[in-house]
Amino acid sequence: MKILLKLLIISLPISFLFMFFVLLNEDKQIPGADYREFDLPIFNLEDLDSKRVIKNTDIKGASIINIWASWCITCQIEHPYLMSLNKRGIPVIGINYKDDRDDAINWLSKFGNPYQLIIHDYKGSLALDMGVTGAPETFLVNNGRIVAHYQGEINESIWNKVFAPIIEEQGLFK
Amino acid sequence: MIVEISHFLAIISTALFFLAGLFALTIKNTFYTTNLISKTFSHAFLFFSASFFIYIYLAITDDFSVQYIANHSNSALPIFYKISSIWSAHEGSMFLWIFFLALWGFIFNIFIKNTEILKPKTIGIISLVIVGFLLFLLITSNPFVTILPIAPVNGADINPVLQDPALAIHPPTLYLGYVGFVIPFACSMAFLINNDASVKWESLVRKWSVMAWIFLTIGITLGSWWAYYELGWGGYWFWDPVENVALMPWLAATAFLHSLSVSIKSSHLRTWTILLSISVFSLSLFGAFIVRSGIIDSVHSFANDPQRGLYLLAFISVIILISLSLFISRFSLTRTHRSIKTLSKESFISINNIFFVTLIFSIMLGVTYPLIYEYFYDQKISVGAPFYNAIFIPIVILASIFLFFSIESKWSRSIDLKIFINPIFISLILSFVATLIVFINLEKINVFILLSIFTGLLIIFRYLIEIWNSFVYKKYLNPFSAIAHFALGLLLVSISLNSLLSSERALNIKINEYEEYEDLNIYFRDLNLVKGPNYDSVKANFFIEDENGKSFNLYPEKRRYSRRGQITTETAIYITPFRDIYLTIGDQLEDGSWIVNIQINFLIRWIWFSAFLMAFAGVVLISSKRKV
Repeated sequence: MKILLKLLIISLPISFLFMFFVLLNEDKQIPGADYREFDLPIFNLEDLDSKRVIKNTDIKGASIINIWASWCITCQIEHPYLMSLNKRGIPVIGINYKDDRDDAINWLSKFGNPYQLIIHDYKGSLALDMGVTGAPETFLVNNGRIVAHYQGEINESIWNKVFAPIIEEQGLFK
Repeated sequence: MIVEISHFLAIISTALFFLAGLFALTIKNTFYTTNLISKTFSHAFLFFSASFFIYIYLAITDDFSVQYIANHSNSALPIFYKISSIWSAHEGSMFLWIFFLALWGFIFNIFIKNTEILKPKTIGIISLVIVGFLLFLLITSNPFVTILPIAPVNGADINPVLQDPALAIHPPTLYLGYVGFVIPFACSMAFLINNDASVKWESLVRKWSVMAWIFLTIGITLGSWWAYYELGWGGYWFWDPVENVALMPWLAATAFLHSLSVSIKSSHLRTWTILLSISVFSLSLFGAFIVRSGIIDSVHSFANDPQRGLYLLAFISVIILISLSLFISRFSLTRTHRSIKTLSKESFISINNIFFVTLIFSIMLGVTYPLIYEYFYDQKISVGAPFYNAIFIPIVILASIFLFFSIESKWSRSIDLKIFINPIFISLILSFVATLIVFINLEKINVFILLSIFTGLLIIFRYLIEIWNSFVYKKYLNPFSAIAHFALGLLLVSISLNSLLSSERALNIKINEYEEYEDLNIYFRDLNLVKGPNYDSVKANFFIEDENGKSFNLYPEKRRYSRRGQITTETAIYITPFRDIYLTIGDQLEDGSWIVNIQINFLIRWIWFSAFLMAFAGVVLISSKRKV
């Protein structure tokens, strides 16, 4: 009886502590990441060189959509990472957000162009429809459907945490 | 530069506290070693407080080369908030926490004579706890980190919801309560190490524990009050996870104080008392873990960092496991072979302990269940008021009935049935009549609520009779117990009536429009843009008239703070003795009307008053000369 009481006294807190240890190590949701799926909004916008009109149906297969602007400092910081994504053969589509066309073109000639396609969203209307709150933000799109969204600077670790699991799960970019 | 001095002093004090702990637990205690330990502790405290006050000086003088100050203070703030900005986030509040911990130890060290046999070990254990927290501070949450070479000119800002006098004192008061329980904890551990059942550690810590309990009570009440008018929560208690982790140590502490009085009087329940002293302190630490590990999202959570959570969890585990193993190895030390008499005061208090422990376990379950559920099913659920009400209401009613009958009980004797009848009978009748009046006058009826009103009134009337007897017939009355339990009765009645009568509604109202709610006529007179020192605000003007023709203006506000862009609602409250009229403005709708939330909160001030009355009872006990 006494032994039982002793065991109870010691094992109860231990089990609670152990439980918290397990819970603490569980992967928490990453701030800024959002996995709610939705269709790419319908749009009809010029590209950055104003040579042609881009429609939502022009975005085919799997790609990365990146919201950027020449006035955005964080976009400069994540820019080399986008260049490396492009080098890896992952299609990156840019949405130039509330930006002056000449500034944007100058910016790209200075830092390099990682984008296959650049949509000039001068009024921010497309970005608004996509739920963008500011630059930079990055989306993963698969067959016209947004499957992942990250607000803020992307880099290797964010890529691995936010996008890589979905890419693997859906077998994209193969 | 000065910040390095502060940092350095903190490191030195860590080493000194460690030495004090090492001496106390390894060297055989003699008069000389006790003196040495006491002196070492005092010096460690002096170094540490120097470090802390230098840090306050840095905050006052806007030294923004210190990263923490730059991130949480601003040169435009009044001095009061520059100081309180120190505890507005994790690192600084931890610093304050440790300072209070050391302060309790220091005051204990001064007031308790060196001849007291448990003193050196108690001081040693307090020192080691301090060292554990100091290492946590220095390793995982260093507030001394500097931004070099260029310091920002103005600093960011303190979180606007914290720019409020109640909030400037809410955390310090609460912390004083939490860490104050280090004294009964350390003392009970010293008692176990000392291994001599004849030493009365319980009388040594009585007043210290009551003091900590007072701070805890006031701290929780201030938090409740602040959430009501500043956060715009519109109530007094929300079963928010962090309210819960503050309530658990409070319940444990209250049970501990009850149990303690038994152990002092008759050496019964010593096992309970020691286990409860361990529980109070571990639950306080557990609160710190919940808030600072990011394991739960709440208004109170600090920026989360898993490393911190892991350290705290490890630290708590070490404390709990060592203290429980010690307890088990000295199990026979606290056992008495005399049994408790049925219907004696001791028996009532041991039942009370069981009630309290049940409540603590239920809260623990409520706090952890969503975490476990999310872990297994990957879905978020929340455990809220329905769960807690279902458990708390019946248990509190039951415990109150036990309390009602225990008032007549005596130490080590059964209740004497002759005097048993009279006052109990009177208060039963009085409460029944009063409850009946409530029942007849109100349309809304809920059995449990009526029952809690009834039991609350029972306690109130019973104690009124006791107070009458003590004045008229000079019958002995323990003022501490009378005030505290009277406050409990008042609390029960206020909470019940509040939940029965209060109501709220969201109104859609345009400028220059009238709207009616309950007995109130509400006129939206005007809306102005106001510029504050560090915010812009929309200030509404409402003219409200009640059925008696009494009228007043209310000015609820919505502020946007320029530095952080954070939006806060400023409630407007019209206070009368029995009810609060509480207005907040929400968003503007497309047709130009505003969402205005109106609440009528009955007896909410009485709830806080009851809680303060309980704390006051503690003050009565501390100031009483009687040696209990």
